[in-house]
Amino acid sequence: MASLSRAASAQVIADDAPRLNPHSFQLAALSAPAVLFTFAMIAFPFCYAIWLGFHSFSATGHSRFVGLDNYRKLIGDIEFWNGLYVTFALYFLGLALQIAGGIYLAILLFNAKRLSGFMRSLFISPILLPSAVAGMMWIIILDPSIGLANYLLSLVGLPPSEWIASPVWVIPTIALIDTWHWTPYVALIVLGGLQSLPQNVFEAAQIDGASPARTFWRITLPLLLPTIVTATVLRSVDLLRFFDIIYIMTQGGPGNASNTLNVYGFKIGFEYFNIGYASALMLTLSTIVLGVVLTLNRLRKAVAW
Amino acid sequence: MSSTLSAAWARRLNTLQLVLVGIFLLAPVVWMVLASFKQSSDVIAYPPTLLFTPTIENYRALIETTPFLSYAINSIIVTVGSTTLGIVFGVPAAFVISWTRVSWPAVLTLAARMVPGALFLLPWYILFRNLGMIGSYWPLILSHAVITMPIVIWILLPYFDGIPRSIYEAAQVDGCSVTRVLWRIALPLVGSGVAIAAILAFVFSWNFFLFVLVLSTSDTKTMIAASFNFVGEGSTRWGVLMAVATLIALPPLMLAMVVQRWLVAGLTLGAVKG
Repeated sequence: MASLSRAASAQVIADDAPRLNPHSFQLAALSAPAVLFTFAMIAFPFCYAIWLGFHSFSATGHSRFVGLDNYRKLIGDIEFWNGLYVTFALYFLGLALQIAGGIYLAILLFNAKRLSGFMRSLFISPILLPSAVAGMMWIIILDPSIGLANYLLSLVGLPPSEWIASPVWVIPTIALIDTWHWTPYVALIVLGGLQSLPQNVFEAAQIDGASPARTFWRITLPLLLPTIVTATVLRSVDLLRFFDIIYIMTQGGPGNASNTLNVYGFKIGFEYFNIGYASALMLTLSTIVLGVVLTLNRLRKAVAW
Repeated sequence: MSSTLSAAWARRLNTLQLVLVGIFLLAPVVWMVLASFKQSSDVIAYPPTLLFTPTIENYRALIETTPFLSYAINSIIVTVGSTTLGIVFGVPAAFVISWTRVSWPAVLTLAARMVPGALFLLPWYILFRNLGMIGSYWPLILSHAVITMPIVIWILLPYFDGIPRSIYEAAQVDGCSVTRVLWRIALPLVGSGVAIAAILAFVFSWNFFLFVLVLSTSDTKTMIAASFNFVGEGSTRWGVLMAVATLIALPPLMLAMVVQRWLVAGLTLGAVKG
């Protein structure tokens, strides 16, 4: 009897059809905690947030179905449009700086063939810092009256800056801080791409007498494009949801000059307790993130080789 | 001859640029650590000073005048709890995903990385409040497991995929149940992967700001959540603020040095091969 069932299970394995596997019950049991957890903590809250977005809440906690009112309110909300502008200003500025800086650092690291593990880890140490810590750290460096940054400016004869206290400079400054924080990450991704490039192409270019600049623009960069788009996707997801450093450093200020959609939505939800409206805003932001990611994924397919 | 000469110069130029970029990347961290050891008069000295008599006064003040130690204990409870939960849920899940090649659950766990965290925070807050769990560690541990579990799953998937199927099949022919295959055969083979996943999960859970900001109360406040309050009071006590920042940064900096080769994999979760 035992040998019979053993033969039967061996037969199933030979068919290589997982769905007929006699162990499917055990497989389901093994994955059940993770699946249940994902539904309870991700899928259900997501659906709940959609429901919240269609409702309005009174001070006593009673909910009322309001249809698309929250979304209509969004269109007329000047703070929403400001948030959208701030979010994308920070996104484009930060992304351009990080991608350019990341490619630059990756090439430097690639050319330095002998780089010890310790040196490498020094270069990536900003990635390891919690963004809250990065924010705290830059607060004292950028202080207008006693900060190191203004002192360095004065050394090269430049006038002091108000940095994050200035409505004009706050977004460029935060883009710079995020660039400091995540350029090594982009560099590591691009470095991975560089190391996997076929070397014979470069040898051929050298034999043909192509200048280093020409080799970079005509060969290296086009071959790296898929990797660069991947890095762009990953940074886009974070940059469009920018929150931590702004909340630590400026809380959206001065005025509303750094009030990204994520910061604005957080304030609506957890400082003004307007749950329905905050959910509608967060879903809108999610849609924007998804739209950008899908667009970039199309681009990734277009530049694949 | 000239080409080897210019190659040497190119190498020197490359090193020089690396040093400059390295200074830009590291100087702020060094400045933070230095400031944490400065007396209050040195912290606000202008022009900023590199030469000062170091003091541990800021760290002492931190421990004596703030509930910093209890914040640190809360941080450890939440991080260890969520890492453990991530491992307990994630390891069997990664094994099943690798076995069955059904990958949509792994993709679904990534949803939390795409969507703004506050979208989940609102429903979580309502649910946890209705369940009477606000004030306990559970909302913090569960919400942070949303970060740790995908890391564990995505780090371990290639490890499980790398085990030859013939080993599983041989075990099954011998009458081994799936659970036993996981425990006795697969898990010992992916031990190093579990360690890497655990460290990465720990670092990312430790560093995460948004969830604890909302879900912690004064009794369960973690260091990261408290940092926001320290910033509010910080303008008068910058040395203390930098001591907080240094202490929060220490565990991830040390741990991540150990796993730096896998760091990109932990950050990208399947989008690129680290």
